[in-house]
Amino acid sequence: MNIYKPELVEIKEIIDETPDIKTFRLKFKDEKLQNNFSFKAGQFAEYSVFGEGECTFCIASSPTRPEFLECSFKLAGKVTKAMRKLKIGDTMGLRGPYGNSFPLEEMKGKNVVFIAGGIGLAPVRCIIWNVLDLRSEFKDITIIYGARSVSDLVYKYEIQDWQNMPGVKTVVTVDPGGETSDWKGEIGFVPSIVEKVAPKNENTIAIICGPPIMIKYTFPVMEKLGFSEDSIITTLENRMKCGLGKCGRCNIGSVYVCKDGPVFTYHQLKELPDEF
Amino acid sequence: MKSFIVTRSQINSLAAELLSKNWSIFTQSEDRKRFKQCESESEISVDGNGKPSDVSFKELFFPKSETLFYFNRDNEELTLLDPAEPGTKTVIFGAKPCDAASVPVLSKVFNWDYNDEFFNKRVENTIVISIACSYSDESCFCTSVGLSPFSEIGSDLFLIPTEKDSFILKIVSEKGEKFINEFPFMIQKEFEGTFDLENQKASFPKEKFDFASVKEWLGKNFKDEIWNEVGELCLGCAQCAYVCPTCHCFDIVDENCGVSCGRRVKNWDSCQFGLFTKHASGHNPREDQSRRYRQRVNHKFNYYKQRFDEILCTGCGRCTRGCPVSIDIAQVLEKIQCKQSAAIV
Amino acid sequence: MNQLIESAKDIFQNNKAAIIIGYTKDKSGRTKPFIAHNSDEAEKLTFNHHAVNNLAVYLTRLEKPKDGKIGIVAKGCDIRAINALIQENQIRRDDVLIIAMNCNGVVENQNEEFSKENTQIKCKYCQLRTPNNYDFLLGELEDFELPEDSQQELMNKLEAMTPEERWNFWESQFGNCIKCYACRQVCPLCYCEQCIVEKSMPQWIETSSTTRGNFSWNLIRAFHQAGRCIGCHECERVCPMDIPLTLLTRKMGMIAMKEFNYKHGMNINEPTLIGTYSTSDNEDFIK
Ligand code: SF4
Ligand code: SF4
Ligand code: SF4
Ligand code: SF4
Ligand code: SF4
Ligand code: FES
Repeated sequence: MNIYKPELVEIKEIIDETPDIKTFRLKFKDEKLQNNFSFKAGQFAEYSVFGEGECTFCIASSPTRPEFLECSFKLAGKVTKAMRKLKIGDTMGLRGPYGNSFPLEEMKGKNVVFIAGGIGLAPVRCIIWNVLDLRSEFKDITIIYGARSVSDLVYKYEIQDWQNMPGVKTVVTVDPGGETSDWKGEIGFVPSIVEKVAPKNENTIAIICGPPIMIKYTFPVMEKLGFSEDSIITTLENRMKCGLGKCGRCNIGSVYVCKDGPVFTYHQLKELPDEF
Repeated sequence: MKSFIVTRSQINSLAAELLSKNWSIFTQSEDRKRFKQCESESEISVDGNGKPSDVSFKELFFPKSETLFYFNRDNEELTLLDPAEPGTKTVIFGAKPCDAASVPVLSKVFNWDYNDEFFNKRVENTIVISIACSYSDESCFCTSVGLSPFSEIGSDLFLIPTEKDSFILKIVSEKGEKFINEFPFMIQKEFEGTFDLENQKASFPKEKFDFASVKEWLGKNFKDEIWNEVGELCLGCAQCAYVCPTCHCFDIVDENCGVSCGRRVKNWDSCQFGLFTKHASGHNPREDQSRRYRQRVNHKFNYYKQRFDEILCTGCGRCTRGCPVSIDIAQVLEKIQCKQSAAIV
Repeated sequence: MNQLIESAKDIFQNNKAAIIIGYTKDKSGRTKPFIAHNSDEAEKLTFNHHAVNNLAVYLTRLEKPKDGKIGIVAKGCDIRAINALIQENQIRRDDVLIIAMNCNGVVENQNEEFSKENTQIKCKYCQLRTPNNYDFLLGELEDFELPEDSQQELMNKLEAMTPEERWNFWESQFGNCIKCYACRQVCPLCYCEQCIVEKSMPQWIETSSTTRGNFSWNLIRAFHQAGRCIGCHECERVCPMDIPLTLLTRKMGMIAMKEFNYKHGMNINEPTLIGTYSTSDNEDFIK
């Protein structure tokens, strides 16, 4: 089998999330594949625009909603630039799913705190819906999401739904200066909002995704709130290429982020050489 | 497995017969640059005394640029097409033990979980006939990484020169056995004596460092001034990785050949290039050459061992011989071993 | 090389430079680049017939020391590179301390004894055995006639070829390239922050190592060196595939000489050829 050859998918819907982020809703061209495709929250895939190349993103839709796959991407290079030009009905390539996943089983019966910044909400959104779709198996849920400004918030249309759900506490924030005149959410950087919301650490697992700088300042806050290193989970945005543990790009210490990750606990990250 | 006595002229006949049956034959070029394809049996080199080729034979298993698939956008429909399978049966004559040993080492990374059939097909189709090595220079260090001029690892057949134009032909792998059985004239005269390896050991390159101590030190010391010392001088080319028989990093890129078609290719790449780990956001976790050289040494002598239980180096010395600024990887490892010894005392 | 060590120690003791880029002999007897940071390390400096590397490459690669100049041991061809970098505004004369060496030629193979016949090709047409820009000048110049320039013969042969023959010649040469970019990394004049092969928007050069991709890479690099190559032959020395890269760059240097009477890196006060334009320029070479 040619492990490098993607399957063909069709773009069914395009959502303009922010000025530089779009979400694609994709479906396999081959119906059988669509029906058999299964993945776990936290896994990623390699998406291709033929003639331009491949790009790695997490799968942003939930495994509990298998009718389609979604990915959200930010304009950052050659391939994402080409992706932005695609239209509904266009064909792309997809290889995957790859990598490990969020420890869903372990989270059952516990409180869950989701913390995300910017486009870091994409992998978190996948697990949020996964958890919400199995709501009764989890205890209290807290979602803290921040972006630079109101226009940089992704999945605005769903945040509303989360806010309306019982037993789900959803706090949305924008960086100071990023608010609009009618902004009703919080104003402040994610780490300080986390400190303010102060989720409880007992029987709780926290999932944190976002830009490196946000992660860097949020970890100490979590520690201060009494979260253990093993109960804090993140996913690494390490530059990947093959997704198959071959090309060497994602190698950090003896770990291959594409195979052993992308999901790591804070504890595991601390054990790795400082190269991410 | 059995051994036989063969002569140089029998080896030539073998090559001639292979050529007549459309096998590809590769051997070291006269200038010892690389492995070249032979058109006639007279070109094959089975010379234990020659320098290892400047570029290893890895490109025969893992080409510098390999098509993964073609895409075609004709009449609105997009189709993907697999490239032709690398079907040619190949024999490599006169590989060095430090060449041959790289094949099983590479096989590990190309076959954990996902199998890279491009690599596997080529390995499957290739018979490696190595020759015991009597060359050694200041850059060689096979004996420090658990190999020797007589290592048979990775070979299918192994030649040991005895007297002039005569060799012991050892059958090493099952594949080698099956292959050689097809050529009865090669297995006429069984070698029944024993070859005294002990006698040869005096002429082996001396062990330059103790691998276990090096690995132990690397595991404990991520930050150290040694990386700055080397990194300051290292120019960050990828000569060392590209000539190396075990380096296997690659990039995947698309190439268009017209408006409606193109191909996706796997190209050699290396952790020595600054762009290798640069994220689209501009962030680069290995931003300077000292970090990149540290990755090279750690990947080879620490991480790969942890992960695949193999040393990602056969001690062939190519990287050192070819380095534009003569960075000697064995000297770096010797230094590390000294640091480890000092730490123990 | 006591003279060199003495001056290097003096430089450190009087804080005339923060580091000195030079050569040392390693324990296997190879002469290779070395950076001395203090007068103890200065003891290890050496200069001999195997000091082939063009150390000027480090001037744009190393971080500028905070506490002083970069000292550099330089023979004629290295000086040409330093001059060229000054002409191209990449470094300032005041930031470097040049310890120049009178040079009698270098031999590429570390295990070969020196004789004037087996020097590198560059030495066979060298015009700068006595450097022309320095803070200190050391070493003795032996008086001898330069041996025959063996590359000239090959150049004549290439010139006599039909375009098709020449194309085939280069196709077989470039076909061997493995894109290790050692030629670029070792070149003192390839100092671009982002090399054109690394630009992907748009993709100028195919990164694959195929005949087509190799042609675009090797030719574009040659063109970027048009009238800039200072003839240190480092690219050719380090190429693991032994591609005769300097045939192209040298030829372009010769054209620059013939058409514009210009040779790069000879005089730091001269404006660069590529950076100047005159209406009286001879355009014979564009045909
Ligand atoms: S070949 Fe030498 S200079 Fe080039 S990257 Fe390797 S160690 Fe550095
Ligand atoms: S690292 Fe150097 S010595 Fe080791 S296998 Fe590679 S080229 Fe040979
Ligand atoms: S040493 Fe570097 S180039 Fe070689 S395999 Fe390891 S990571 Fe890849
Ligand atoms: S080109 Fe001139 S200065 Fe350079 S090494 Fe040769 S003789 Fe010396
Ligand atoms: S040094 Fe030689 S093989 Fe390497 S990129 Fe340059 S021309 Fe190609
Ligand atoms: S992305 Fe290629 S090895 Fe992980």
